Amino acid sequence: MIEIKDVSFSYSGVNALNNINLSIEDGEAVALMGANGSGKSTLLKLINGIISPDRGVYKFNNEEITAKELKDPIFAKRLHQKIGFVFQNSDTQLFCADVYDEIAFGPRQMGISESDVEQRVNDCLNLLNIQDFKHRQPYHLSGGEKRKVAIASVLVLNPEVLVLDEPMNGLDPRTQRWLVEFLVKLNQAGKTLIISTHSLELVPELSSRAILFGENHTIAADMPTEKLLDDVDLLKRVNLVDEYYHSHAGKDHKHFHDHSF
Amino acid sequence: MRLNDNRMDALNMPEWLLTDENYSPPNDRDTFVNKSILSFLSILARIKTQDSSETGKYGISAIFKVAFTFMLILLLSLSRSFVFVMIINVYLIVILSLMKAEDIVKILKVSLVMSLFTFILLLPAAFWGNSSSTILITGKVFATITVVNILSRTTKWTSITGALKKFFVPDLFILVLDITIKYIVMLGDFALSMLYALKLRSVGKNKSKYTALSGIGGTLFIKSKEMAEDMYIAMECRGFTGEYHVYNNFKFTIADFGYIMINVGIIVLFVYFGRI
Repeated sequence: MIEIKDVSFSYSGVNALNNINLSIEDGEAVALMGANGSGKSTLLKLINGIISPDRGVYKFNNEEITAKELKDPIFAKRLHQKIGFVFQNSDTQLFCADVYDEIAFGPRQMGISESDVEQRVNDCLNLLNIQDFKHRQPYHLSGGEKRKVAIASVLVLNPEVLVLDEPMNGLDPRTQRWLVEFLVKLNQAGKTLIISTHSLELVPELSSRAILFGENHTIAADMPTEKLLDDVDLLKRVNLVDEYYHSHAGKDHKHFHDHSF
Repeated sequence: MRLNDNRMDALNMPEWLLTDENYSPPNDRDTFVNKSILSFLSILARIKTQDSSETGKYGISAIFKVAFTFMLILLLSLSRSFVFVMIINVYLIVILSLMKAEDIVKILKVSLVMSLFTFILLLPAAFWGNSSSTILITGKVFATITVVNILSRTTKWTSITGALKKFFVPDLFILVLDITIKYIVMLGDFALSMLYALKLRSVGKNKSKYTALSGIGGTLFIKSKEMAEDMYIAMECRGFTGEYHVYNNFKFTIADFGYIMINVGIIVLFVYFGRI
């Protein structure tokens, strides 16, 4: 579904992605991990067609995505419908007068009838458990509520791939838990998920495959999540954890925590 | 992909979400979003590049650069000597030639366009026999714009605002300038992300493009108000009582001496050509 070969990208001469190679199959759930500034968000932008590679090839459904192709509005819109992007900061994603309009913004442009739009919006409101906020202004919602509205506004387009940039950031533990279960459900329903995250304790639940970025903006590892999380030396090497981080691979659970306090 | 009904029920997902979307986007005239993205990107890139500019590339203090840039603008506007204006232009082109190719192109582009514009405006005067003034004023415009751009490209804005302290500009005014630059970047980044979000979700024909844009404007306004309130509270917590002290660890270098000598030479030339 997604194929990235020898891709490099830089912002005004500053390297952000360096010789990236990866492929993601239809229906997979993949976690992107790495220290701040390692290139995760840039890769997500590239996958969504916000930026295009300086070097290398990016293919989605066997079609090459280039700067030239993305200038074609019909091609770009088709890509944006197929790949939904949930931004790290939900505030940047919400610009309509109320939650209903926010979620209806995309489908209203797709030429489907208003009754179908209403059906889709109500389904999304129910799925994300935000029916009560239907007529509230997005800007006045709490962080967790905004994140749910942002996800609904993307999900309503029925994308094949859902790309989430650090979706757990700023959420309370209960909302994090709810979101993990929701994303797992979406993946089981056949949606391909690409999730960048720092929540090491939640990664094994979100995806069976993890891609680890090194500080030199290359892929340091691409392996099963459990195996990657066991390799603490590697996690230390890419500066994702420090010497106090470790896991208890017990019978019932496994988690990471900090003993420095 | 199409899941069977039992599976759909178990996942509690609506049917439309489990089927492939067979969608062909219609054509729509929405280049405004792309143009807005590009203009935001260029402004932000300009500010970020400016932030990494080498203040001390030639070891000259920002204070002298700011002072002599203002002086040069003043001398250029007062001078009636064609030779003086041309000498200054040659001097500025020599300085330009020492800069990076990218900077040279950008500075020359602005200077030449503005000079050409001035020249066209003054053409009627040239036709009425006042051609020397036309060339003189065009030369002055070229030199003025070039010298300001050289200052802006070779000196960090924070150094320029810091240098203002030496010219008795109130500290609070410098604080306002510093904060303005900071928030242009922060709000610019925020606006850029909103435009990206609008672009990604504009998957078809948007009948209310300007409503979406006004939504972005409104959100930006609320965001800026929130940021201002947060900063006010944070500053109060840090003991801010309305006084802001700008500290400047100024050191006089040999490059400063050389730069002063060149500018003294310029003053001498101004006086000399003013008398003949």
